[in-house]
Amino acid sequence: MEGTNYLTVAYLGMIAAIAIWTWTVVVRSRSIEARLEAVESSIGIDASQADDVAIQSTVDSQDDATV
Amino acid sequence: MRRRAPEIFLGLGFAGIMTTLYLGLNWAPSVSIDAFESPAAQRIFYWHVPSAWAAFIAFGVLFFGSVLWFFKRSPLGWRLHVAGTEAGLACGLMAVWSGCVWGAAEWGTPWDWSDVRLNTFGLLTLLALFLVLGRQSQPDGVETRDTFSTFGLYGFVLVPLTYVATRIWQIRHPGPVIAAGDDGGSLQSSMALVLLIGALSFTVFIIGHMLISMRITHLEQRLEQAQKSLDGGN
Repeated sequence: MEGTNYLTVAYLGMIAAIAIWTWTVVVRSRSIEARLEAVESSIGIDASQADDVAIQSTVDSQDDATV
Repeated sequence: MRRRAPEIFLGLGFAGIMTTLYLGLNWAPSVSIDAFESPAAQRIFYWHVPSAWAAFIAFGVLFFGSVLWFFKRSPLGWRLHVAGTEAGLACGLMAVWSGCVWGAAEWGTPWDWSDVRLNTFGLLTLLALFLVLGRQSQPDGVETRDTFSTFGLYGFVLVPLTYVATRIWQIRHPGPVIAAGDDGGSLQSSMALVLLIGALSFTVFIIGHMLISMRITHLEQRLEQAQKSLDGGN
């Protein structure tokens, strides 16, 4: 019985950990989404321009290829 | 509906994990008390094995994302890389922690430096930790992404090594129990069923986490771009 109690405590700890992790991630996603909607609607840019590192990297590669 | 897909995956996965634990604790048969030092601790496997399985899926996504970024400069590839690292770290820690609980109860020690699978899996988890912390401490840029993608590419070699480790070196970890070859393994059908439910649940759960992580990365990039526009940078 002692072993089962020990195991239950270990399980509860892990369940609490993944529940907190999941809750934090969902709340963070919703919070960023709300902030972004407010900012993007005020300045008028769209999602396709989001990853400027990838865009810049592609432009650099094309420049290298043409040189 | 599509917008809420990650939350649906997370909810279904979490419910499945709870079901697995309930079945593992209350329905799955006990193991022989003669064969194990601590028979009750064996039930930690209904968490340990599925979380290790989910970690391998996440490391696979990390590798695929790294390839896509490194060779195609794909924004999707970078988002997959980030999602794979975070999910790999979380599942890796779950597998390592549950393994330590098992080791302490059954082996008398939470860690054995001579067991190959234990140490290669520990290295994989440390690699994911390095990638998560490194990405948070470095400014985003092509060089940073290339560096971390290279670690993602070369680090993946630990995945097949971890998989075959118990086939080559059986030290603490047992040999294959489920995919054991022609005889179908030594696992009772009810135990295998609980493990299967666990593996499916963790898979759904980690897919949900990776989808939401990809969405967060995309939202952060859009927010950064919007802030640059506000500052007059673009």
